[in-house]
Amino acid sequence: MADHVAVHRSGLTMPVVTPRFIDNAWRRGCDFINMDLEDSVPQHMKGYARTLIKDAIANVTKGGAEAFTRINHDLVLADLEGIIWPGLAKVNYPKAEYAEEIELLDRIISRLERERGIRPGTVEIGANIETSVGVANAYDIAAASPRVREFGGAGGYDMSRDLGVEMFVGFDQFVYGKGEVELAASALGLEPHTAPFTANTTGSVGDPDRAFREAEAARKCGFRVGGGLHPNVVEPQTRGFTPTHEEVDEAQQVLEQYRQLEVSGETWSDTDGKIIDRYEAARARKLLEWSELCAARDQEKAEAAARVEAAGA
Amino acid sequence: MVPVTNVGFVQGSWRRGADAITLDLEDGVVPASKAGARALVGDAVSVAGKGAAEVFVRVNKEFLVADVEASVWPGLAGIMLPKVESPEDVIEASDVLTSAERERGIEPGTLSIILLLESANAVFRVREIIAASERVSQVGLDESDLSASLGISSLSEYDPFVYARGRMAIEATAAGVQPIGIAHPLGTLPRLLSGDDMLKVATDSKNLGFKGIICPHPSWVSSVNTAFTPTESQVDFYTQVRDVFAQAIAAGTAAVPFAGRMIDVPVDEWAKVVIATSTACSLRDSEKQTALEAASA
Repeated sequence: MADHVAVHRSGLTMPVVTPRFIDNAWRRGCDFINMDLEDSVPQHMKGYARTLIKDAIANVTKGGAEAFTRINHDLVLADLEGIIWPGLAKVNYPKAEYAEEIELLDRIISRLERERGIRPGTVEIGANIETSVGVANAYDIAAASPRVREFGGAGGYDMSRDLGVEMFVGFDQFVYGKGEVELAASALGLEPHTAPFTANTTGSVGDPDRAFREAEAARKCGFRVGGGLHPNVVEPQTRGFTPTHEEVDEAQQVLEQYRQLEVSGETWSDTDGKIIDRYEAARARKLLEWSELCAARDQEKAEAAARVEAAGA
Repeated sequence: MVPVTNVGFVQGSWRRGADAITLDLEDGVVPASKAGARALVGDAVSVAGKGAAEVFVRVNKEFLVADVEASVWPGLAGIMLPKVESPEDVIEASDVLTSAERERGIEPGTLSIILLLESANAVFRVREIIAASERVSQVGLDESDLSASLGISSLSEYDPFVYARGRMAIEATAAGVQPIGIAHPLGTLPRLLSGDDMLKVATDSKNLGFKGIICPHPSWVSSVNTAFTPTESQVDFYTQVRDVFAQAIAAGTAAVPFAGRMIDVPVDEWAKVVIATSTACSLRDSEKQTALEAASA
């Protein structure tokens, strides 16, 4: 179970073998950078790609982003040996299908943390659900290691191929799988990484307006984790997952009204159709906590970027 | 799906272009006619197969042995087993098929089983039910019976089976079995639609992960075949995807923007599937066409 709430509103997945992506990654303002060894790296470059991660970790985190790496489903040992270095926050494991796979990852990561002087338990595992077998075993997979803290998937290109469906057809094709994965995450006290359905019939990965609408809808449904493929979506995602000033003001008012309610000994009140009770108070408290975490994260990133600028000047 | 007692329907069935024809001994046949219906199956199997369709018989769960004995003739692909409730039901049907294969000199394991889930219990236990026999090739929801079992009055505005359909599609795919079925509202309210509307519902069904649709009326067949066959523009698009992706690999990346999308390994893999499916559909269509012409001559 997560002992702290991570702030992963926006992130870019990029092939680690493309230097111009990696060199500019720290300027993007993301909460995380996910360096890919898997589907964006050609088969003949897999060995070379994993040798790049150690130096790239320092490079992509200069602006305060966390560094993640997506490994290959079938090259677990070699990839982990190549990438578990200080500064790596998370290993994304694609096409997770069985709890045993996650247990194996956990054992190898634990050994490498020990050997390389990394505090035990530092490296998170992202167990990405991308197949029907993965959905069927979602709960066992999510429960397989305490390193799994955010849990989601059940959509996307791999899932579509597994089900044999075209994507971008304008209706919610993955509603069952997403529901199963969300339920497993929530039942285990993990952060569900999913989103409500918003139609995308073009398949565009770089539309900032869409990215904002999606992120805002996701946040309003209680989700907090984002990520994408195109630099254009970073700022809209960050914004969409961050509470607005109006929402913060409103949450403060709710808490103030609830405090007054407690003084008066009442359990709920109804002001112009707006209910104030302990559920609304809890919701407001959660929003304010999240807002503070987002602000702290934004400040961290701003300071990191300023340090790079100062060093370069 | 054709009631075996309707001689006209059976006689016309092979001309309809369906990939499979199921001769019904169950709900399409009134109880008083069950025995007489069994006597018709042997001839009906050979008639229904004249256009190269695979032929199945939907048996009565309570008359399993008699129905299977009446159905196992050369040309039968398998049975459709309705009202499945447990793995034991599937094992029992498989055992009956094993005996019939032995008695009639058919290669063991040849006959397959299409399962129909018709209750909440069956939907809940779908994983163990599917896993009960190697013969299981397809699984579908009988949404009308499921509505009755759950006390649901069907409305076209409201889809009561989002979860059941999704669960079946995921569990079947995970088990390597084909899910079959149709998108709302035609699952609970089967009826005739105009060509475009029918094509839309059939296409939605494909995009939910289904691999085929049981047609209660011959007018559905053509739209369903079209919906499950990749379109020319899809084949063109994915042929371009494969070219663009191959060039990207040669240039040292497996992620390349194309037509506003990001093309990477799974998109290229899916492109291969679409192109191969298109080829397989063409082969199947010409197989049916050849059989149809030979039988009509």
